[in-house]
Amino acid sequence: MSAVLLLLLAPLFTGCLKWVKARLQNRQGPGPLIDYFNLLKLAQKSYIVPETASAVFLLGPSLSFLGAVLAATMLPVFPGLSFTGDFLLVLYLLNLGRFFQALAALDSGSAFGGQGSYRESLVAVLTEPGTILALSAVALSSQELSLASLAPLSAQNLLVYALALAALLLSLVAEGARMPVDDPATHLELTMIHEAQLLDHSGPLLALYELASGVKMLSYLALASLLLPLSHVLAFLLMVVLGLAGLAIIETYGVRLRYLRLPDLLTYNTLAGILAMLGVVLRFRI
Amino acid sequence: MDTPLLALALFLILLQSGLALWWPPGRGFPWTFGTAGVLLLAAGLHRWLLEAPGQQLSLSGLYLALLGLLYLALGPYLRDYLSHQDSAQAKLNAATIPLFALSMVAALLVPPGYSLVFAWEAMALLGYLLIAWGEPGAQTGARWFLLSSRLSGAGVLLMVVALSLIERGSASLWPLVFVGALVGFGVKAAIFPLSLWLTRAHPVAPSPISALLSGGMTKLGLYGLLLATTFQTKPPEWMGWTLVLLGLAGAVYAPVRGLAEQDYKAVLAYSSVENLNLMLAGAGALMLTQDLRFLAALVFLQLSHAAYKGLLFLGSAILPAREIGRLGGLWKRAPVTAGLTLFASVAAASLPPLAGFLGEWLLFLSFLGAKGLLALSAGMVALAGVLASVLYLRAFGLTFLGSARSEAVDRGLEAGPGMRLGMSLLATFLMTISLFPAFFLPKGISVPLLPQFALFAGLLVLLTLLVWWLKKLQHRSYGTWDCGYTSLEPVMQPSPLGYSEQVLRLFPFVSLRSVPSVGVLDPLEQAYRLVSALYQNLASAFQRLQSGSIHLYLLLQFLALLVVLAVAL
Repeated sequence: MSAVLLLLLAPLFTGCLKWVKARLQNRQGPGPLIDYFNLLKLAQKSYIVPETASAVFLLGPSLSFLGAVLAATMLPVFPGLSFTGDFLLVLYLLNLGRFFQALAALDSGSAFGGQGSYRESLVAVLTEPGTILALSAVALSSQELSLASLAPLSAQNLLVYALALAALLLSLVAEGARMPVDDPATHLELTMIHEAQLLDHSGPLLALYELASGVKMLSYLALASLLLPLSHVLAFLLMVVLGLAGLAIIETYGVRLRYLRLPDLLTYNTLAGILAMLGVVLRFRI
Repeated sequence: MDTPLLALALFLILLQSGLALWWPPGRGFPWTFGTAGVLLLAAGLHRWLLEAPGQQLSLSGLYLALLGLLYLALGPYLRDYLSHQDSAQAKLNAATIPLFALSMVAALLVPPGYSLVFAWEAMALLGYLLIAWGEPGAQTGARWFLLSSRLSGAGVLLMVVALSLIERGSASLWPLVFVGALVGFGVKAAIFPLSLWLTRAHPVAPSPISALLSGGMTKLGLYGLLLATTFQTKPPEWMGWTLVLLGLAGAVYAPVRGLAEQDYKAVLAYSSVENLNLMLAGAGALMLTQDLRFLAALVFLQLSHAAYKGLLFLGSAILPAREIGRLGGLWKRAPVTAGLTLFASVAAASLPPLAGFLGEWLLFLSFLGAKGLLALSAGMVALAGVLASVLYLRAFGLTFLGSARSEAVDRGLEAGPGMRLGMSLLATFLMTISLFPAFFLPKGISVPLLPQFALFAGLLVLLTLLVWWLKKLQHRSYGTWDCGYTSLEPVMQPSPLGYSEQVLRLFPFVSLRSVPSVGVLDPLEQAYRLVSALYQNLASAFQRLQSGSIHLYLLLQFLALLVVLAVAL
């Protein structure tokens, strides 16, 4: 149920993002529905397989997409599959997708693919512990280790939830490859992180990657929305609108961080995770 | 019921060893080699699942099953592998490998007494010989192995002696038992600062031996530690905390150090250190909390580690060179081995839906369920997990994908049918524990598990459909995108150190140096060098006593006599 919603919404989300950004930058820009047409166009094209490629080349987009979709089925935007420790499975299914995406980038044997692959690895190392700690802290403070039964926001867990929200939003920009971590609009291969891995994937393969990255961003927004004191659907929609606005503003007025400065920003993610966990264990209150 | 099975298995292993001496291994090598593995697997699982959990009988069953699995896979594998060696060496290996397996099985079957010491020492000696008979450069690695075995043997001996003294009524010796167990079994399981031997010995050992060492022997250390917890109703807290802290430190140190490594098999060895230290941390937390979920996590971590690390090491035999920087594009030359290695790598990177992730997931949940600061360990587990996945991304991606970085790759050949069968057996087992994990837990340990079957089967079906659809679509082969620069060279792909350089910057305890040659600065290795220098100085100081002067010797004897008299009177 949640997966279907996220899948349907993903092109709208990325399309709207482009549209809002264009308006903020005083451009006409494409309409908000552009990405539906874009995906349709890509799906109808034939695709190119590099001469060096092996079977992993197709596994990359496929597993990246399936990992994101399976992760989305476990998000409690609508009531669905829920069990103890599901939040770990959600994060690791997204990791599965990233693992194969980075492998497929190496498979093409290009310099850019390899570059994208190790840059993505750095981002993963920087964000993952923080994200897991943050979600674990939230789950622990609710005493139920599943996403569907997180405790509502209250004075007791305000600090933990705020820290976890910060960590999740940082993960959103890092894992979704948005500014200030990565610039989705760049055309220069040397500066790419996420896009560099997709350079050799065309047509339906690219469509799968685009869809996967949209679902992935929405998944992080959905995870963050669980921390808001609203009903799940409402909180999710609010979070999507907020995310849209936030990302558009950052990408219009902000600049991208130099790649080697990424640790400076993303350490806050880890720090927030550790503090959130300490907050639960030592029972800090505001 | 398992006793006749075990007796038959032991008999078969012995028979195999004797047979190998006059039956030249190779083409006509009997297929019966691995049969004893089936018996061990059956007997072990029977013990593990049906005996009362938490006792030596059931514990040893788990490890018997694990050894049986590896032995089973080695059977067909060795048939091909040994046929490439010259006859005398192949005979020697074929006769010794069963004995090595036998000594490990014996260590599991005997009670923790002097017979354990003998089995433990036999294992160390045979392991040393098997490594040392390998490639010409294997001597140093083999000596590292022997040195660590001395330490481990001393620890086990201390434990056994203390235990037998306690039986005679000196209860104050209990701490000694646990110190002995910690050193004796901890070193075998590559506990953190004492883990250097593993990363020196396993890369130089022949591939099937590495598989047996990494998949099987190191687990016996964990067996010993778990066995030591049954001596008393509750093991001491300090032991639990030591294991947790050292284990977590090692689980983060090892993959980082592995990222600075350029040798494919050394990367696998560092990943073994990471896995083992994670398991040691789990074992320590089990001692502290008595939470059975830790035990369940250990079961899946160990069973899947035996299968995937065995498979990875067996697969490494086809590499034409060990340096990752000279490899690349091996998938095209050896698709089956590459595919199996990828499957094992996914498990090793602890990604769902395979059993490696199930173990890590249980470890996360049990750490989160623990009281106090122990819950923070979840962060270390997460860090170790993501580092391991980068480690395998790099090792597999640079070795098997892309294009060849040197001419060495042209010599790369697909593994023979027997080798492929051996690896497939391990892959099948990995698949079985991933699909039906509940079967591998005895009734006494009931913990909630992931819906593995639905997850795995669902993902597999969807993936097959998607790939089938993609293959059906129109596509064509073309050159890789080179940004308009028309001669893309293989050297433009990332080099092994280039791949990990930026991740290594995050961890100041391992750094790369480029002058005078590219290398790694590792404080652990420097500490070892310091210790060995101290030891050398001490030894040369003592050597002055051995001057060859008869007067000095007489004086020493006289002094010794005086001391003895003083004590006796």
